[in-house]
Amino acid sequence: MKTYSRREFLRLAGLAIAGVSLTGCANGQSQIIARALPGPSLATALANPLALPSADFRALNRLCYGPTANERAFVRAHGIPAWIETQLAHTGINDDSTQWRLSSVDSLTLSANEIQDSYADLFDGADKEAAIGELRQATLIRQIYSERQLYEMMVEFWSDHFNIDAGKGDCWFLKMVDDREVIRPHALGRFRDLLWASAHSPAMLVYLDNQANRAGTPNENYARELLELHTLGVHGGYQQQDVQALARCLTGWTVKSGFVRWPGEFIFDEAQHDVQVKTVLGMTLQPDGINEAERVIDQLATHPSTAQFIATKLARRFIADDPPAHVIGRTAQAFTRSQGDIRVTLKALLLEGNGLAALQPKLKRPSQYMVSALRMLGGQSGGGAGVQTVLRRMGQPLFGWPTPDGYPDRAEAWQHNLLPRWQFALALTHDQIDGTWINNEALETVATLINSQRIDSLYQWLFGESLPERMRESLRAIATDAIAEPSATARTTLAALLCAPNFQWR
Amino acid sequence: MTTPFNARLGFAPVHTAPRGDVLVVIFLRGAADALNMVVPYGDAVYYTLRPTLNIPRPDDRRFELAQRAHDLDGFFGLHPAMQSLLPIWQAGHLAIVHACGAPDESRSHFQAMALMERGVENERGPGSGWIGRHLASLNTGNTSSLRAVALGDMAPLSLSGSVPVAAMRSVADFHLGGKGTNAAIRAATELQKVLAQMYAPTAPHALAQQGAQSLDVLQLLNKLDPSRKDTSLPYPQTDFGESLRQVGLLVKAEVGLEVAALDLGGWDTHFAQGSSVGWMANLLRELADGLTALYADVIDSANRVSVVVMSEFGRRAHENGSLGTDHGHGGAMLLLGSQVRGKRVHGTWPGLQAEQLIGPGDLAVTTDYRDVLAELCIKRLNNPNWQQIFPGYTATFRDVFALK
Repeated sequence: MKTYSRREFLRLAGLAIAGVSLTGCANGQSQIIARALPGPSLATALANPLALPSADFRALNRLCYGPTANERAFVRAHGIPAWIETQLAHTGINDDSTQWRLSSVDSLTLSANEIQDSYADLFDGADKEAAIGELRQATLIRQIYSERQLYEMMVEFWSDHFNIDAGKGDCWFLKMVDDREVIRPHALGRFRDLLWASAHSPAMLVYLDNQANRAGTPNENYARELLELHTLGVHGGYQQQDVQALARCLTGWTVKSGFVRWPGEFIFDEAQHDVQVKTVLGMTLQPDGINEAERVIDQLATHPSTAQFIATKLARRFIADDPPAHVIGRTAQAFTRSQGDIRVTLKALLLEGNGLAALQPKLKRPSQYMVSALRMLGGQSGGGAGVQTVLRRMGQPLFGWPTPDGYPDRAEAWQHNLLPRWQFALALTHDQIDGTWINNEALETVATLINSQRIDSLYQWLFGESLPERMRESLRAIATDAIAEPSATARTTLAALLCAPNFQWR
Repeated sequence: MTTPFNARLGFAPVHTAPRGDVLVVIFLRGAADALNMVVPYGDAVYYTLRPTLNIPRPDDRRFELAQRAHDLDGFFGLHPAMQSLLPIWQAGHLAIVHACGAPDESRSHFQAMALMERGVENERGPGSGWIGRHLASLNTGNTSSLRAVALGDMAPLSLSGSVPVAAMRSVADFHLGGKGTNAAIRAATELQKVLAQMYAPTAPHALAQQGAQSLDVLQLLNKLDPSRKDTSLPYPQTDFGESLRQVGLLVKAEVGLEVAALDLGGWDTHFAQGSSVGWMANLLRELADGLTALYADVIDSANRVSVVVMSEFGRRAHENGSLGTDHGHGGAMLLLGSQVRGKRVHGTWPGLQAEQLIGPGDLAVTTDYRDVLAELCIKRLNNPNWQQIFPGYTATFRDVFALK
């Protein structure tokens, strides 16, 4: 991927501003940017397929949202371990072009009350869906275009782990801040820092009702999920009385609210704090204000059950729905040894003990299915309402899972809903999704390949293996049945490939 | 949850019998507060435990009628928001089982739901769902691809098993595009042909059966006319109401449906639960009005439909400081159908005195949910294999259903 010089940036800025004035809206602006910054081109890719050994293709397919020419070129030159190391040192990867694509997402850098203000309508309340839509848009743009693919996968992982439903209460504007200030800074950092930030996050406290957790009238919701879902796990060795005691430690952890709307900041409200002695997980805590829960959080961050729980979830995300115990064990040890260093833990999972050899098929969740289709076909998208509607139909609207356990990560949860994927495949290849398209060059290239019976290279590109005879026959049948319009055959062929069983798996 | 599907069940004896009732399972996600849904107004302790959130007694004239519980049997009352169900109760087609639930005491939504939907007590049991095992162990001669449907984007764990299940939001949505231009229609037709080859039932990959079933369902539903909506039926205008309407449509269309599963979420009322009005009352109204509309919709075949409403556990007997309730234990099941022993609250009331509550102050469970479901399988679904469906459990039948 070319990097852009400052002059090019300025030129693009001019284009973007012109785009806004032409179309008058942020969505239009993102369209202009998308056109000015063509992503990876399918035509170029097929001209120079950069074949990989199947094990490498499988690994790459697992560790990014769909291997484009960039990833393949790197792995061909340097191998998978080097690719992983580079991806883990994510801040060293130039991602300026993605930043440019994000420039139309206004709320990305705004504070909580700025977002709330900018979407507030004096008479009709606030356009909450639009605000949440911006967060979804930014997330999709990053998953589709970012060079920091493994980092974005970890952002997704932690967003699931510390799930927040953006549709709940003030989370419609608070979650954008949480994404920026809790998840993203620490996704490849230290778990303790991530947990700490989450516990102080207004979005999380509102989502799990902790602002209602007060001395004399405790609310257990956040305390329970902190233990059950964020750290120890349901079998991690805590009792009901630990939940209740931790809840009392967390009294007063709330969000600033004022006469004129001034929400969005964490505040420890001394007046609401329970001043009794508490015992949590065998630790006796003398009254000490905010420090009580902070001490517990510190303990939880490096607890052996936490190591086991996080290791299991990471293994489930990257290795298999039911990962082998030795893989989990090795990973948990690395977590403990490094005091919750996420990079070290990931390296142990993926690179130690021939980790990637343990890969078993993982079903793509809807958003990854869609993003991988766009990446692999060099599709263009501004990440807006068009593709967000597709995700809603597939059951994964992003930041919309109602319960704190986050979007499920097993095949059984997603495999019963294949039809919306097929509907998406048809729509994408026939220009029926707003703000999203596959460019004509790609379609012409595919048409040429079909005509010259060289569909193998397209198959190889998408699946990292040779075209099976059965599939060749099925695809050939499209060509003979279609009316003689080459682009129609190309479109339907691409749709069929996106529907193929192989494409449903990472 | 890491237990894989128990392949041995594939070889368990399959019972052959004609199809029984269509089973409609509604899962209230989030732990519904049974004590405010079916109010033990006859137990004075209820009022001391819930000074703010209580539902007033049916005869407490300090309150408007619309705020008071509706008397069911002299001890229990129904939350006023559920009054649309009263005629069904009077007709004897609504039964309630109180202090009902599962042994699991984790008070974790996710653990409790997973175990309840799998019909097991711990991780060692099969990973499939109890309804999945029911379908796999019963041969009704029904070759329809729509034996089971999940209304929504995901199939619940209870349906998981060897019989493929389609998830759908609506019949109308379940088509492969191809509207408008001839080109679009042609493309959809071509694609469907290729899909039929890629997802042939015997194709050698993990999604073959699921894909084949989806294609069958596509063909089946294309023959129905979903525009023929009976708008006179007062289904709530919510996703849940719409899902129930779809169930009604599928039952009447006689497409071979045996099981429909739906979810209604939002029951985790830790905070500002409300009492006669408020958050929970709104949910109860949606639930009751939906059930009433479904009942009216399929009343011609009422002797062929059994509705089960369940939740993963109940909520704490005393209210918390946020005017809500925390996770509890014992809950309630609702059963609708013309063959329930209705107009009765079944089960043994354990009481709300401190020594009668368990754990941090929760209603005890005196009827295991599997007792009710096992009886349902035998008497309403013609499936005697309840020991396979609920492995490791010995059911006690409570006479909640009539024999067919």
